[in-house]
Amino acid sequence: MSRWGMVIDLEKCTGCQACTTACQVENNRLPGENWQDVLFYAEGEYPSGKFSWLPRPCMHCENPSCREVCPTGATFKDKDGFVLVDWEKCIGCKYCMVACPYGVRFYAEEKQPVQPDIRSVFPGDGDKMWNPPWQMPEARRDPKHGVGIQPTNVVSKCTFCYHRVSKAPAGTVDLDPSNPALRDFVPACVVTCAPSARYFGDLDTPTSEVRRLIAEKRGTRLKEETGNRPQVYYLAGEQSSIPETRSTRIKS
Amino acid sequence: MTTRPNSQGLLGLIDFGKKPDGVTILMMLGGAILAGVGLAYVLLQLVLNGHSAFNTSSNVAWGAPIAFYLFFLLTSSGLSVIASLDTVFGLKVFYPVAKRCMWLSITTLVAGFSILALEIGHPFRMIWAIPMGMQFHSPMWWMGVFYSIDLVLLCVKFYLMHTGEWHTKRAHYVSIASFTICILAPGTLGLVFGMMAMRPAWYSPVMPMYFILTGFATATAFILFITSLYEHEDKQAEVKRLYTSVLPRLFFVSLLAVIAMRFGQIITGLWSNYEGMEAHWHALRSPLFHVEIWLGFVLPALLMASESRRQYRPFQALAALLFGVGIFFARLELLIVGQVVPLFKGSFGGYAEYWPSATEWMLVPAGFGIFYVLYGAGNWLLRLSETSEQ
Repeated sequence: MSRWGMVIDLEKCTGCQACTTACQVENNRLPGENWQDVLFYAEGEYPSGKFSWLPRPCMHCENPSCREVCPTGATFKDKDGFVLVDWEKCIGCKYCMVACPYGVRFYAEEKQPVQPDIRSVFPGDGDKMWNPPWQMPEARRDPKHGVGIQPTNVVSKCTFCYHRVSKAPAGTVDLDPSNPALRDFVPACVVTCAPSARYFGDLDTPTSEVRRLIAEKRGTRLKEETGNRPQVYYLAGEQSSIPETRSTRIKS
Repeated sequence: MTTRPNSQGLLGLIDFGKKPDGVTILMMLGGAILAGVGLAYVLLQLVLNGHSAFNTSSNVAWGAPIAFYLFFLLTSSGLSVIASLDTVFGLKVFYPVAKRCMWLSITTLVAGFSILALEIGHPFRMIWAIPMGMQFHSPMWWMGVFYSIDLVLLCVKFYLMHTGEWHTKRAHYVSIASFTICILAPGTLGLVFGMMAMRPAWYSPVMPMYFILTGFATATAFILFITSLYEHEDKQAEVKRLYTSVLPRLFFVSLLAVIAMRFGQIITGLWSNYEGMEAHWHALRSPLFHVEIWLGFVLPALLMASESRRQYRPFQALAALLFGVGIFFARLELLIVGQVVPLFKGSFGGYAEYWPSATEWMLVPAGFGIFYVLYGAGNWLLRLSETSEQ
């Protein structure tokens, strides 16, 4: 058993959003529905204002509040630390979306931000939400773990690329994309990250690269006060910072 | 009127001999039209556009349909509490209204469930997935359990009343169980919101109490408004006292309690600097907020403040109607205030925008239509004015 986690080094991240695009293509997401997003923040006022950004995947929390509120058990925590949605059990009540402190869950049955609505351009067959022109291979699809072409009326979220990571050779501790033998098992956003700002590995193994980085560079987690205990850590260093607010703070 | 025990099976319980009066016919006819138009429009939109016909989004996941079903479910629980004032607590002054409250409680619950079924992504899957899931740590799971039991107990209690069993041992046990559930169910519904620490504008241990109290106040308004349509039933002195003195006073007191709680929420919300609480400042700029507070809460309280006005049925009906409108928008305002500050969306999104779509608004006639048809049918066929002989 592993407890997969991600480390994002904000000093290295350039905010290029290649991770967002890679996730979109890998997981057949609708345009504008970003399981993995890069959020941009403007904080403070002239002359001390600053501009920052924050890559934000699902945090795959240790104590996920989305799982606690789910009335059917459709949201569950896998033995290897993934927080996943069983699309065959989800009733679309959206309580998990309300309970997630990080805003990383999505309900695709909404007016699309990008027009024309791509669902009408590539209409889905059966209960599939759409029929994307590039599709994940049939063998990799796994609706019980929220992987593949999404059915209608269910909630979706980042899976940490479960379909790739869960196939990694047993005993793997660091999923380093620079290792050709492991590259196919690394989450798409980590593989694509041009400045190599992302690291993926086992948080339970003391010798793993992610554990070393968290310890040496003082990895921090978002909204610790909620008790969710994310498995995504941010390294701020001296050249960057984690945005002060989770959202816009408009003066009243 | 006294009870008439009946032993001719379920169909024998229905009194087909009576002709419906004008108000009842109007209610059923109007209800059928409202329900027909509302349901047809919503179902057509759901078939053509799916849930995209709603203006909800990944930022505002819960919209008007949730507010509408909250309105009906909480009112149902309040009505059941009023019915319990005599059957559980022995307050005989409420006898004349108890059976009507029970039927109103069933009909509002059915209307609420109907809206919920149209809102939820997989209503049929819900029927097996919730009981099979056994997610006892989810407040929504408990809400489902309690409201399901509530519906069953309401039906059993109404059946016992209808067959003349008001004071038997089993009727008493059913009444106590029903009363317990109709406190637990809205309380749990309050927890669905109140336990969300990540939604500071909702997070409050007082939320269950707020839901129970507002449900009770709405129920009092409901019964006052409904019975104001049946002036002819006021002839008996004790019945007259109930409608012109006891119920209006109860309505006034519960209105004051709602206002006190609501102003407490607003003041703490505006005072707090905690992130997410700025939603309360945003609410001040919403017309919904002012409809809720001034037109829906304060004006009815002023109308009910004077003893002479309280006794006057048209004033009661007006105050009840205004409060009904106010609390209807209060439910919607509550939904918006908890979600308007988006979670981790960056600086450039601003507040989340939401206004119900035409499809969502059409759930209102659908819900009220279902309620009017069922209530009218009950008023016609189920002897709702009858009371206990004791």
